[in-house]
Amino acid sequence: MKTVKINKRIIMANIILLAILNLFCLNVIAQDKSASSIQLSYYKKADKTRTIVAKVKGKNEDKKFVPVANVKVNFYFQNKKDEQLIKGIATDMSGNAELVLPKIVPLDDENYFTIIAKIENDSKYEDADEQVHYTDASFNIKIDPKDTSRLATVEVTSIDNKGKEVPVKGVEVTFYVQRLFGIMPASEDPKVTTDKSGEAEFNLPKDIAGDTLGNLTIVARIEDNAQFGNIETKVSAPWAIALIPEKNPFPRALWEPKAPPILVITISTLFGGVWFTYFFMFWKLSRIKKDGMKSKVKA
Amino acid sequence: MENEQDIINQEIAQIQEDCLRPTRKWSKGTKLWIGCLLMVAGWGLYAYIHQLNAGLGVTAMRNYVSWGLYISTFVFFIGISHSGTLVSAILRITKQEWRRPITRSAELLTFVSLLFGGIMPIIDLGRPDRVLNLVFFGRIQSPLMWDVISICTYFVGSTVFLYLPMIPDMALCRDRLVGPKSRFDKFRKWLYTFMAINWKGTKEQWHKLELIMTIMTIIIIPVAVSVHTVVSYIFAMTLRPGWNSTVFGPYFVAGALYSGSAGVILGMAAFRKFYGLQKYITKRHFDLMGRIVLALTLIYAYLNLNEYWIPAYKMATGEGHLLKDLFYGDYSKVFWTLQFGTVLLPIIIMSIPRGRRPLPLVITCIIIVIGAWVKRYIIVVPTLLHPFMPIQEVPNDWATYFPNWVEFSVTFGCLAGIFLVITIFAKLFPMMAVWEVADGVVIEHDKKAAEEIRLKREANRELSNGGTLIPPENAALKPEVKLI
Repeated sequence: MKTVKINKRIIMANIILLAILNLFCLNVIAQDKSASSIQLSYYKKADKTRTIVAKVKGKNEDKKFVPVANVKVNFYFQNKKDEQLIKGIATDMSGNAELVLPKIVPLDDENYFTIIAKIENDSKYEDADEQVHYTDASFNIKIDPKDTSRLATVEVTSIDNKGKEVPVKGVEVTFYVQRLFGIMPASEDPKVTTDKSGEAEFNLPKDIAGDTLGNLTIVARIEDNAQFGNIETKVSAPWAIALIPEKNPFPRALWEPKAPPILVITISTLFGGVWFTYFFMFWKLSRIKKDGMKSKVKA
Repeated sequence: MENEQDIINQEIAQIQEDCLRPTRKWSKGTKLWIGCLLMVAGWGLYAYIHQLNAGLGVTAMRNYVSWGLYISTFVFFIGISHSGTLVSAILRITKQEWRRPITRSAELLTFVSLLFGGIMPIIDLGRPDRVLNLVFFGRIQSPLMWDVISICTYFVGSTVFLYLPMIPDMALCRDRLVGPKSRFDKFRKWLYTFMAINWKGTKEQWHKLELIMTIMTIIIIPVAVSVHTVVSYIFAMTLRPGWNSTVFGPYFVAGALYSGSAGVILGMAAFRKFYGLQKYITKRHFDLMGRIVLALTLIYAYLNLNEYWIPAYKMATGEGHLLKDLFYGDYSKVFWTLQFGTVLLPIIIMSIPRGRRPLPLVITCIIIVIGAWVKRYIIVVPTLLHPFMPIQEVPNDWATYFPNWVEFSVTFGCLAGIFLVITIFAKLFPMMAVWEVADGVVIEHDKKAAEEIRLKREANRELSNGGTLIPPENAALKPEVKLI
C-alpha cells in the first residue's frame, strides 16, 4: 500500500511538473510574437486616384508601439458578407503599406465601401486587423482667374442611395498653397464649411508669392472626414506675387558653379607652394643619384 | 687621439650591428604575429567585401548617423599621424640630440596611420568607385575637397620625410647584404639598391641631402598642422550643434598632437622591448617624451574646457540638447570617463617623475590613445543624433547608433593592417636612423673632448693665477666650483 501511495505521489508530482513546464513553454511561445496595431487612412487625390494607407506599429522592447518595416498587410473588400482579397503589401521603412484602389469597388446598399486590412500569420507580430468604411464624394474647386477678390469656391457632392447626386452640407474644407517641398496653409484661418448647396468660399490673401509668372496652385482638402476620409483637389490661379529670381541668389554657396576667386587663389598658393617644394626636392634627389653615378665612374 | 677614434668606430660598428640585426632574422614569434595580423586583416577584408556587395545597409549607419565608426577612426588615425612628423620635425628643428633613436619609429607611425586613415573615408562610401568624382567634378569650395588635397599633400610629404633619412641607411643595408642566397634576399638587395639611389656618401651627396632634409623639416610642420585643421573644418564648417565651433581647428590639432605623441611613446616602447634597443632608447627618452605629452595634454585640456564650457554656459537650444546628453544623458558615462580618465588622470600621473618611467608611461599612453579614439566617436556620433529637425516617422533603431560587426571587423582589420605594415617595415629596414645615431655618438664624443679641453684650459689659467690645480677628472665631478 505504501509503495502504491508513493508511486501516486510521484505520478502527481510529475504531472504538476509537466503542467508547469507546459505552461512555461506556452508562455515562451506566446512571448515570441509582439503585439501589433494597424491604422488605416483613405485618400482621394486630386488626380482621382484612391489609396488606402495602412500604418503598422509593433511593440518594441521598451513596450512602445513604433512603426515596423517588412510586415505583410492583406487588404480585403467587404463584399456583402464575404471578404474578397485585393492584395498583400509589405510595409516600408516608415511602417506604411499603401494600396491603390481599383476604379470599381463593391458598394453596399448605401453606396459605402468597406476595406479591411489584416496582419495574418506574421512571424514576428501577432495578428491584427482594422477596417474603414467610406463613401465616395465629388470634390471640385472653381475659380475665376480675372476675379480681383481672389475667390475660390469648392463644391462637395455625393451619390445618395437612389443614385442621385446631392450636395453635402457641413463638410470642413481646408485651403492650402502648394510650395516646393509641401503645402502651406493659405491664411491664418484656412478652414471653411460647406453650406446647404454643398459649396464653400475662400478668399485668398493678396501677399502670397508664386512662380515667375505670378501663378500658384491652390490646394483644397477635406481631412479626416468620417464620411469621405481625405479628399484633395487643386487648381492653378494667377493670383500670386510674381517671384523675380535674383541674378545670383547664392553668391558664396557650395553649389555655385564657380568658387570665389580669393578662395581659389589662397588654396592654390598654399598647396602650390608646398608641391613646388616637393618637386624641387625630387629634382635634388635625382641630383643625388647622378652624383652617385659620377663617383662610381671615378672609382 | 687614435685611441679615441677607435672607440668611436667601435661604437658606430656596434650601432650598425644592433640596428641591422633585427632585419636578418624572422623569428617564429614574428611569423606567428604576422599570421595573426593577416587573419584579422583578412576577416576585415571579408567584412568589407560583404559591405561592398550588400551596400552600407549592412552597417549600423542609417540616414541620421551616416558618419559612424569609420569616420571617427579616420579622424583618430589622422590624429595619430601627427605624432611622427611633428615630433620628429620639431625635435630636429630645435636640435634636440636625444631625438636621434626615436625619429624613425615616429615617422613610420605617421606614414602608416596616414595610409590607413586615408582609406577610412573611402570605406565609408557605399560606392567607393565614386571617389574619382572628386577628381573629375571636385569643387574647390568644399571643405571635403580641401581635406582630400591636404591629406594627399601630407601623405606625400610624410613619405618623403620618412624616406630621406633612410637613404644612407639603405646604402648601408645594400653594402652589408653580400651574396644574397634566397629569392627574398635578392628582393631585399634590389630594394635596398633602388632605395639607396646610388648613395656613396660623398660630400656633394651629404650636402644635398642635408639641404632637402632641412627644407622638408620646415615645410612638413605647417602641412601637418593644416591637415588636422582641415579635418576639423569638415565638421566646423557646418552649423550643427557640437561642431559649429571656432576653436575646432586648434582643438583638433592639440588633440592630434596629444594622442600622436602618446602613440610615439608606445612605438618607442615596443621597438625597445622587441628589438633590444634599451641601450639607445633609454629611460631618459621616456622621461623627456613624457614631459612633451604632459605639456600637450595640458594644452588639450585647456582647449577641451573651452570647447565645452562656453556652449555649456550659454546652453543655446540645439547645443543644449547635445550637451545635456553628454553631461548627464546617454553619453555621460563615456564623456566623464574620457575627461577624468584620459585627460586629468594622465596629467596627474605624468606630473610625477615616477609616472614618466617606461612602464607607467606606457600604461598612461595606452589610456590616452584609446581615450583619443573614443573621443573622436563622441565628437562625431552624438552630434549626428541631435539634428535640428526632430527624428520622427522612422524606425526606432534609426534614432540610436552603435557600430555592428561589419564596422568593427573592417576597423580592426585596418588596425591590423597598420601593425602589419609596421612589422614588415621593421623587419626590412633598421628601426633607428643608423647614421643619425652614429652622428650623435660623434657629437657626444666631441662634446666630451671639448669639455675636457675647456676644463684643462681653465685649470691652467687657475694655476697661472696661483690657484690649486684641479685634475680634469675631478673637476668634471665638481661643476659647482666657480673658476675665475
